[in-house]
Amino acid sequence: MEFDFSPLLESWQFLLGGLGVTLLLALLTVLGSLLLGTLIGLARCYGPAWLRWPLVFYIDSMRAIPVLVVLVWTYFALPILTGITFPPFWAALVALTLHIAAYVAEIVRAGVQSIRPGQFRAALALGMSWRQTITEIVLPQAVVRMLPAFASILSITIKDTAIAAVIAVPEYMQRSQTLAGQSYRPIEVFSVAMLVYFLVLFPTTRLVDAIYARVAHLGRS
Amino acid sequence: MTPSGRKGGDTAPVLTYRNVRKLFGQFVALNDVSMQVNRGEVVCLIGPSGSGKSTLLRCTNALTRIDGGEVRFDGEPLPPDEQRMRKIRQRMGMVFQNFELFPHKTVLANVTSGPLTVLRMRPEDARRRAEALLDKVGLADKAAAYPANLSGGQQQRVAIARALAMEPEVMLFDEPTSALDPETIGEVLNVMKKLAEEGMTMIVVTHEMTFARRVAHWVVVFERGGIIEQGPPAQIFDAPQVDRTRDFLGHLGWSG
Amino acid sequence: MNLDWNVVWQHRGALAEGAEVTVLLTLLTMAIAIPGGVLLALMRLSKSRLLSGASAAFVELFRNLPLILVVYWAYYVMPVLSGLEFSAFTTGLIALSLNVSAYNSETFRAGIASIRQGQTEAALSLGMSQFQAMRQIVFPQAASRILPVLASTWVSLFKDTSLVSVIAVGDLAYNAMQVRAQTYRVLEMLTAMAAIYWVMGYPQAKLVDWLHRKYGISE
Repeated sequence: MEFDFSPLLESWQFLLGGLGVTLLLALLTVLGSLLLGTLIGLARCYGPAWLRWPLVFYIDSMRAIPVLVVLVWTYFALPILTGITFPPFWAALVALTLHIAAYVAEIVRAGVQSIRPGQFRAALALGMSWRQTITEIVLPQAVVRMLPAFASILSITIKDTAIAAVIAVPEYMQRSQTLAGQSYRPIEVFSVAMLVYFLVLFPTTRLVDAIYARVAHLGRS
Repeated sequence: MTPSGRKGGDTAPVLTYRNVRKLFGQFVALNDVSMQVNRGEVVCLIGPSGSGKSTLLRCTNALTRIDGGEVRFDGEPLPPDEQRMRKIRQRMGMVFQNFELFPHKTVLANVTSGPLTVLRMRPEDARRRAEALLDKVGLADKAAAYPANLSGGQQQRVAIARALAMEPEVMLFDEPTSALDPETIGEVLNVMKKLAEEGMTMIVVTHEMTFARRVAHWVVVFERGGIIEQGPPAQIFDAPQVDRTRDFLGHLGWSG
Repeated sequence: MNLDWNVVWQHRGALAEGAEVTVLLTLLTMAIAIPGGVLLALMRLSKSRLLSGASAAFVELFRNLPLILVVYWAYYVMPVLSGLEFSAFTTGLIALSLNVSAYNSETFRAGIASIRQGQTEAALSLGMSQFQAMRQIVFPQAASRILPVLASTWVSLFKDTSLVSVIAVGDLAYNAMQVRAQTYRVLEMLTAMAAIYWVMGYPQAKLVDWLHRKYGISE
């Protein structure tokens, strides 16, 4: 059983490009899903009643359907429905953002609902409007409680980008697959892939833990 | 302060502490503490927070292990291995500041937990013992309730019954009333007073100076990990020999 | 756009079989990953630094790897490492079990750690052994905190089983996509796949919500 890592050395730029795509996709997804998810979460809590039902349906559906399925559907089926074709990267971005935004929305909901009703009453009694109450009293407290959960979204997103390989997004996973196929050296290629992902994710989860340790006490009532 | 002048001083002490040291990292919690507790004595440990009183109590039943010196129970040093220490713990009872009742068990089950699990008593015997003890602390009617439905004072009384169920030779109280509402402190102190009158050996870490003055046979004053004074309550409270004792009592608003 | 939803009905057998495999995989993985998680948690909490470190390293490893990569890696590496032939199903099962065991061990460890030290001390001061204190006092209380999290992990696992489709395990995702490839009925089959996952997954998600409400932390 001998190992030959030379294909990796020869194609390191190819792989590095893949890593770049992974990180870009992850970053854009995180930004998009934080934005979208927060809006949806707030709309679900404070929005008009008619909006609530479809939003809850959307959130719960994303909890029930695998990422793989959403990715594949967005890339292959959505074009048939709408007539618009997405290049793989954008299909993945849309699919991942929609999927993860649902989780963000739930985090926002849990965070906001954990604030004692007394806080609302106190703010309104002072004469604040609903909008002021939410932005100045509720959200700041809720954000502290939500921070650790938000931070873990980054880690989850990076892992989910690897699934985008199945719709041929040229991120790191997909490029590893290509290289493994061409070089007939799957063990070496995938072992290095494990190492690369670990090196990217480990500091991220450590960061998550550090933030959690620092911040958790601020959110306790 | 002759040892034989103390209550129970004519027989061998049940607990002796010799040059006990305990460190938490750099912090010296106990610095060369020496004292003794006689059979049938009620010893109160008083002093500012962080002075080492609770630490000494926890070193007594080896929930915390000492770093230097020696603790002897009934003449024998505390065994270093957990298995033998367990046997010693069965002869001591401990009552905690926040009661630490087992929330998933009923009051009765809490009191029988020691006899059933540790002493392997027959369920009927354990039950009978528990019911008698609950009656003694005035909570016979709460046997089927869960701790969450009891007031703080009631929970603490159950905790005392739970510890007594093991028929210990010594009872250790770690600030038993510090977490209680003023209205319920009295009911717990009354139970403790009754226990003392029955001759139980007790070591009580407390801020309740009136209780210490009236019920203790011996008072030990701690400060910053060491004993600054010890003696009968009349001495400590009415005529302290050491200035810092006077200062401490003064801060508490103690005026006799 | 001309749709033929009949295709879904015609291939309902394949879809049903796929759904069965999905459920089977989920059940088997949890059956392995719960004891696996307990073992890892006990190792982590043990006094031995070797066991504790090994467990921590294992958990760190799987927390920081994408599952799809673990599936591929297992597929290529396990036969070489062990000299044995594994079916794709077994490979997928092993990859999933390793991954979920790691997450479960954290759940168990955190659940146990969330029980106040004072409870253990009270038990010890009655003369109980560490083991008795764990079994009678700590575990029962930790269980009600662990259950909702375990249920969430279950639902995540249910969705993650779709990843074994990449190594040609005949689960719902694989079968649905095979039919799509055969019949060229992309929208119909993919929508049917999503719908079936939804029908199976939605009640599970709601059950998790109920468990969170029922066993919600109330100090």
